[in-house]
Amino acid sequence: MAQCGGVRVHQNQFIMSKKPTVQPALHKVIMVGSGGVGKSALTLQFMYDEFVEDYEPTKADSYRKKILLDGEDVQIDILDTAGQEDYAAIRDHYFRSGEGFLCIFSITEDESFQATQEFREQILRVKNDENIPFLLVGNKCDLEDKRKVSFQEASERARQWGVPYVETSAKTREHVDKVFFDLMREIRARKMEENKANNGRGKDRKKKSIKSFLFCYKH
Amino acid sequence: MVPPPVVTGLSPNDGPPGTRITIRGENFGAKATDLVGLTICGYDCLLTAEWKSPSKIVAISGPGKGLGDVIVSTKLGGIGTCNVKFKGYKNENIGPMKDSAVWVEETSFYPWDRHSLSSSSFQQDDPLGLSVEGTERKLSEDDLNEKFPNASGDITSENFSACWFLLENHLATSFNDLQAGLLHLKRKVEGQKEGHLSFLKTNVGAVMDQVDTLILLKERYGTDLDEFGSEPTLKLEKAIKESEREARKLYDDVLTRRDRAEKTRNALNVLSRFKFLFCLPCSIERNIKKGDYDIVINDYMRVKNLFLKRDIPVFKMALNEIERCIVGIKKQLHVKLVKMPIHVDEQKRLIRYLINLDNSFEPAWDAINGHADYLHTRMKQCYEEHKAAIVEDLNKSKNSNLSSKYSKFTALHDTNQCPQNVIYVEEMCDIISELFPDIWKLGQSYFTGELHVKVEPGHKTAFKHTVLNIMEVFCKRLRAAIIPHTLDKNMDRNTYEAWTLPDIDVMAVYLPDCLRYVRLSLANPLHEKWKVEISGSHNGITDLPLNFERAVEDLVQVISESVLRSEAREGPLLENQQAQKEFDKQIEQLLLTFYYVLDSLTSKGSSDDDDDDEIRSPIVSQLIGTPSFVYKSRNHNQKPAWEHRLLMTLANCQYTMNSVLRKTIEAFSKSGYNISPNIIRKSRTDLENLERSILESYLEQKSDPLVGTIEPSMYLGRFDWDTNITPTDLRPYAKECINNLIHVHFEVNSISSKLVDSVLPQVVQTIAEELYRLMSCVQKFSTAGIQQAHIDISALQEFFQGYSTPRAKDHFKEAMELIPPLNQKDLTIVEDILQKCRIKMRLQILCLQKS
Repeated sequence: MAQCGGVRVHQNQFIMSKKPTVQPALHKVIMVGSGGVGKSALTLQFMYDEFVEDYEPTKADSYRKKILLDGEDVQIDILDTAGQEDYAAIRDHYFRSGEGFLCIFSITEDESFQATQEFREQILRVKNDENIPFLLVGNKCDLEDKRKVSFQEASERARQWGVPYVETSAKTREHVDKVFFDLMREIRARKMEENKANNGRGKDRKKKSIKSFLFCYKH
Repeated sequence: MVPPPVVTGLSPNDGPPGTRITIRGENFGAKATDLVGLTICGYDCLLTAEWKSPSKIVAISGPGKGLGDVIVSTKLGGIGTCNVKFKGYKNENIGPMKDSAVWVEETSFYPWDRHSLSSSSFQQDDPLGLSVEGTERKLSEDDLNEKFPNASGDITSENFSACWFLLENHLATSFNDLQAGLLHLKRKVEGQKEGHLSFLKTNVGAVMDQVDTLILLKERYGTDLDEFGSEPTLKLEKAIKESEREARKLYDDVLTRRDRAEKTRNALNVLSRFKFLFCLPCSIERNIKKGDYDIVINDYMRVKNLFLKRDIPVFKMALNEIERCIVGIKKQLHVKLVKMPIHVDEQKRLIRYLINLDNSFEPAWDAINGHADYLHTRMKQCYEEHKAAIVEDLNKSKNSNLSSKYSKFTALHDTNQCPQNVIYVEEMCDIISELFPDIWKLGQSYFTGELHVKVEPGHKTAFKHTVLNIMEVFCKRLRAAIIPHTLDKNMDRNTYEAWTLPDIDVMAVYLPDCLRYVRLSLANPLHEKWKVEISGSHNGITDLPLNFERAVEDLVQVISESVLRSEAREGPLLENQQAQKEFDKQIEQLLLTFYYVLDSLTSKGSSDDDDDDEIRSPIVSQLIGTPSFVYKSRNHNQKPAWEHRLLMTLANCQYTMNSVLRKTIEAFSKSGYNISPNIIRKSRTDLENLERSILESYLEQKSDPLVGTIEPSMYLGRFDWDTNITPTDLRPYAKECINNLIHVHFEVNSISSKLVDSVLPQVVQTIAEELYRLMSCVQKFSTAGIQQAHIDISALQEFFQGYSTPRAKDHFKEAMELIPPLNQKDLTIVEDILQKCRIKMRLQILCLQKS
């Protein structure tokens, strides 16, 4: 019996040590925001350095690519969601899988800024985590003359939420990389934090469970 | 090297079949034609794929279900990878009754779609939107059928009749309800129309795309039409056909070469597999050179068994070749078979080969014929040679001292020169005795089936005819040579030229000789049979009567063949009175001759009977196989004692009388000629006389000295019957007498045990007579003398009892009576001594006891 258990441990260790080296860390980012605020534009600009002028409502797009984050190979997975209200019902499902969120509104449209509150609440509800990596992003900052939402107003809300606020332009690519990288850093930091906590606990838990498992068998 | 394409983005990342997907990623190729493959969830969607840029493709998803990869393949980058997954899900709405902006492969999901669409949505729901609960009254289907022929209440049917439908389903529905239902139906239709419009609105992009594509297609087609004419495929077709032709030409070339190679290989295979068959002609030749006919035949049989039934041309060819070989061998063998001279065994072997080779002709029969022919040619050759020799001889006739070089047998007559024709006869006989047995043996084994041939029914008589023919020719030749005047004047003399005889008198001397040779040679073939027959039943007789018998037998055969059995062209000989008489005389002569021979044998002048000797010695030497040990020893010592000869002749005489004569008569009568009883009687009496005289002379020869010795030895040493010596044993004279008789017994018995009975009693009788005479001469007996005489006489009487004739017994009795009787005491003495004698002379008694 003891021998059997030993083999089991060994197998577990083997799997654990192998997996991280093969696959780079994957950070799942979800774009949220009202329709037409530029979620897809930002995504495409980040992913492919292209700016799409014609509007095509998104349903749900997936993107994933390898990037170098502070000298570390990581994979970013972007889920570009639909902003239209029609799809509100299925958002919960998306949010569950997200590790970090970019909440986007258009500075030229106050409605979209107001909608961020809704999104924030929904995310918090789904994730049940106050400290989920989250960035408030004001897009279309190149259209300064059409601004409807002031920087202060947006910053104030971000401060309330305890999240950074960044203004971007998908067209000019201003701060596009920054928002994604900042979010990923946060995600990474959050994961490391969790790992630390989990490592001690997790390893203990695992060992314990194996031991108890063996113990159970011994008796 | 160009890196493989990677898909990093999908927009959207899920959707039903027919979803337009924007695929983003890297290395999608430098131009549209670089894109060579696109699969979404395992389904090839290349047809709908639209290359936008190296990082973007737009395509429409296929019917793939569940999470799956989107894989892009490019010409240079090969098959790519995918980071994001597409999730396809089945869209139940797509079906034959549903509008779709994109083309969807229906077949794959038809089975489940159709069911849900047609049956569930149309049959369960009422098209008027009314419940069907209140319909209690129902019209039967038959009534409806009657009212609306060729119609149906099924709304999906082509012959749908609204009245039927209403009557069937809404018989109890109120008019208001029906009105409402109509309104509902109208609304639904309206809605569907709106639906169409809205569908178009929502899919305006796709529709526009389709329109664009159609326009583009039309334009392209127009330009193509201008560029390539109305039938652009014509040139292509031509080119294709041309290339096809070329290809076929090339391919055909290759094919033919391959075929040839295959054929060669096959042929080689066949060759090696059936090596035995194909190599057979060679091996046959080789084996023939070595003379191994057995192997050849064996192989041939095997091949025939293996391949004859196979209907394959190559085998047939090979078989034909072999058959040709075999035919050659057959011919060769046949030539060998017929070619003379050849040993019978060899010939038999050849015959066996030929039979094994399934010969069409009859080898055995051919061999026999060949032999016969050869015999004829040999005889002819011999004749020619001697003819030539005679001519030569005539030239040298003066120089007569020189003996002919041909003669081997002149040793017998070494002082005289042998006439050529005698030599000729000798050689002819040699030829016959050399060759005829072969024919006979062959024929024998042929007819007994020893050669494993089926005997042709006609051959038996043919063979007989051949043999007889040989014999006849042989005889005629001889006759022509020796006694030409006896030949049939017309025919035979022409065919067998008569010999010019030097001198008839000279010839006469050799005639018996010649005859002997003839007989001898004729006796040869049948020799063995005779031997067996005779040696079993008669011993003690010499070969002479046998020889005579055989000679007669042969003679009969010859006579019957050449004389009695009348040829077609010869007149029947016996019908001629003259001939008949002549023949009778000849037979009489024959028998007489034999009698003379026997007679002359007994004659004491042993030096003069050269003739007989000559006749006998060669014959005897030829017949070694017969049980004639006496003769054998005699041959070494030149001649037997005269007494022996007497005895032998006696035996011969008896045998001749009892057996030979009868057989001779039988033989003659068998061949169709009855010897007249006169001749037989005469010869029989002659023989009887001869026998008697021989017996007499033998007895005289034997008993005279025996009896003569009795008296002198009785009174040897001045013996007197008035003696004083008390007898203790037999007197020596009695013993001598007994021993002498035993000797006679032995002598006779050694020649022939049969003669013992006729000889011994005579001797005993004379002895008894002599004793009686001697006893009657005695003047006085003493007591001892009386005792002695009693002992002697009674002993002799007792010992000779077995062979005593009544007269001999009388004599013994009379002799005993002459002796004075004994008193009681003497009688016992005599008895004692006799008893002693019996014990002592046990052997002698045994000798004289009759078996």
